[in-house]
Amino acid sequence: MMLLSRVADQLLWGARYLERADATARVVRNFTEVILDLPAGVASSWEPLLAIAGSREEFDRGHVRAAEQDIIRFLVADRENLGSVVSSVAHARENLRTTREVLPRAAWQTVNDLYLFTGREPEAGVDRRSRIRFLNHVTEAVQQLDGVLDGSMLRDEAYEMWRLGQSLERADMTTRVLGVRAAALLDAPEDRDLDYDDVQWMGVLRAVTGLQMFQRSTRGPIHGADVVRFLVFEEQFPRSVKGCLARIRVALSRLPREERTVPAAEALEAALATVPVTADDGAALDAAMDRLQIALAHVSDMVHATFVAAAE
Amino acid sequence: MAELRTATGSWDELIDASGAPRPGAAALVEQLQALGLAELQQRQDLAELDILGMGITFTVYSDGRGIDRAWPFDIVPRVIAAGEWRRIEAGLKQRLTALNRFIDDLYHDQRIIADGVFPGELLEQSVNFRPQCIGVTPPHGVWAHISGSDLVRDGDGTMYVLEDNLRVPSGVSYVLENRAISKRAFADLFARQSILPVDGYTDELNGMLSSLAPDGVSEPTIAVLTPGIYNSAYFEHSFLAQRMGAALVEGADLVVGDDDCVYMRTIDGRERVHVIYRRIDDLFLDPEAFNPESVLGVPGLLRAWRAGKVGIANAPGAGVADDKVVYAWVPDIIRYYLGEEPMLPNVPTYRCLYDDERRFVLDNLRDLVIKPANESGGYGLVIGNRATDDELAEAAAHIEGDPRNWVAQPILDLSTAPTLCDGQLEPRHVDLRPFILSGATSYVTAGGLTRVALRRGSLVVNSSQGGGSKDTWIVDEAWGA
Repeated sequence: MMLLSRVADQLLWGARYLERADATARVVRNFTEVILDLPAGVASSWEPLLAIAGSREEFDRGHVRAAEQDIIRFLVADRENLGSVVSSVAHARENLRTTREVLPRAAWQTVNDLYLFTGREPEAGVDRRSRIRFLNHVTEAVQQLDGVLDGSMLRDEAYEMWRLGQSLERADMTTRVLGVRAAALLDAPEDRDLDYDDVQWMGVLRAVTGLQMFQRSTRGPIHGADVVRFLVFEEQFPRSVKGCLARIRVALSRLPREERTVPAAEALEAALATVPVTADDGAALDAAMDRLQIALAHVSDMVHATFVAAAE
Repeated sequence: MAELRTATGSWDELIDASGAPRPGAAALVEQLQALGLAELQQRQDLAELDILGMGITFTVYSDGRGIDRAWPFDIVPRVIAAGEWRRIEAGLKQRLTALNRFIDDLYHDQRIIADGVFPGELLEQSVNFRPQCIGVTPPHGVWAHISGSDLVRDGDGTMYVLEDNLRVPSGVSYVLENRAISKRAFADLFARQSILPVDGYTDELNGMLSSLAPDGVSEPTIAVLTPGIYNSAYFEHSFLAQRMGAALVEGADLVVGDDDCVYMRTIDGRERVHVIYRRIDDLFLDPEAFNPESVLGVPGLLRAWRAGKVGIANAPGAGVADDKVVYAWVPDIIRYYLGEEPMLPNVPTYRCLYDDERRFVLDNLRDLVIKPANESGGYGLVIGNRATDDELAEAAAHIEGDPRNWVAQPILDLSTAPTLCDGQLEPRHVDLRPFILSGATSYVTAGGLTRVALRRGSLVVNSSQGGGSKDTWIVDEAWGA
């Protein structure tokens, strides 16, 4: 039995919401750890988190201050913010509730449990004393779901649609983390404190849980250009843009109507080839990340047009 | 130690008036007493956590919004001895066989009217008779494939059929989920005695639905048609689709082609659907044939069904026999088609259509339950001895204004079962809804959904109005003896 268009759409977005919840949890957790690592004298700001989440404007509409608590609450616990961890989990749950018949039963229970957990005491994700544990729980639940799907789900169109959504969102997050770092390079004053440059790049790797694997694959101290190469081009790293692209291609090849969707993946590949491996030219890096995000959005649009809109 | 008490005048399902266990209930009663209230409450709390975690819910409306509520479950099961159950099961099969013959007759020759057994004027006034279905012969000649008859036990222990739900009865998913929860709570009792399993239902349903496929299709594509996530039974629609590996579709997912076949919209274009288990009321099923305003249905669906290109369960029009007025004729219907006496009794029912019966009802309002003939869910029901004078006057006005649509029955003393309420075991009124499948053969769930009125003295068991539920154990005493 072929997958219903409506269900396909809900799976794709369910996967995206959940990946987004996980990605936001990872970024906030690692950012928190990086800031705690920086010596007291070094200027630190929580505002880059808003840029990574792509919700600076929305935040500014509702807030006059941008203190740590405000920003973290907005990104983690704010039900009004559609992109917050709590909202993303609630959306994912709603999508899974309407697709339960195609997913293993344990998948629904995992997401439902996570929903109950995040809804019970969202402030625990804001308070510094409990924040890391709260965010870890989110990541662990999402990983558990991944394990359930990997270990017990039919490799059918529903599965591929899920992986497709997950990979699109994952690639998007990696480009946004890199984009924000590129913008920071642009803004940085000439006399920026290069001593802490490696700490900042380490933070970029940590934000996508890539530090340890980066160090295994790249010997020596951390250089910005190596980080860019790793996060964009290292296909063996599942959160690199190229790694995600590979998974997107697999999904599209296993889904019907490949001829309509593959050109969008090829356009993404072409955009990927133009990314400069540099840590010095912030403008070029920033522009390249924009191109990748546009190409990713195009893949998403083509998937919708092919599988959902075409069925109307 | 937990004390079991009965309510004065009511039949208790677990213990008799002397406090001794009913047939089949000895092991449970012994365990309840041994466990004590604190331990029982702990198991109840764990069960509620399971229900929350497993996402077993039903939807209620409040402020125009659908709210997903945890399914209300009482941990103390209701027990019926297998011997009694076999008689009930046979009675239900008999009843549904006759009702299906009746529906088929109404849409064909109407012999029962010609023979003077069923008044033709009732059919003319029926709001559930669908002229669009006249002349159609669904597979096996069966119309009501899935039904859920409500049974109640009176003070003297007699089990009555209270009503037949032949349209889109719900609750069967909770029968299966309640069992999953109760197995955790009383694992040892399941090991020590023979409690008939309920899990086979979805497989039976799958087989029955498959048998409705158009000729020549051996592995049909089955779809469960739901009104959507805001329907109170959405959980069940999803549950049944999961258990059968069927597609869960909404009206907008389906389209009827120029070839009169039904298709679903998939990511690879249209795919044929052979059987639809619809959980949408007749009138919303097909805006071309019925309510043109319906956005839940599928234009052309009735045409596809009439052309034999798709099986629909329950068949459109099956609800004609699910009517509190028709109910009063069911014993005659059984005798007429099967030449047998009914094995399960009806509750005596006064039909306000007839002058003498109406006069009796109006003179005895206080001693009767007054029911609208075509409402489900307990709305519009008036219980004479609990109503105010104003409510009774209003009911009388309704009856005189539209006599055909009202029936009345004596107020039964519904049986009770021990139920955990605020840390105590209290007798609470229960009913029972078994589910019956009718196709080439018939099948009845082992037991069914026991619903319990959680408020002291209340008779209203609907979950939408504060009712709860219990697992129902059919205990085979011969086993291990």
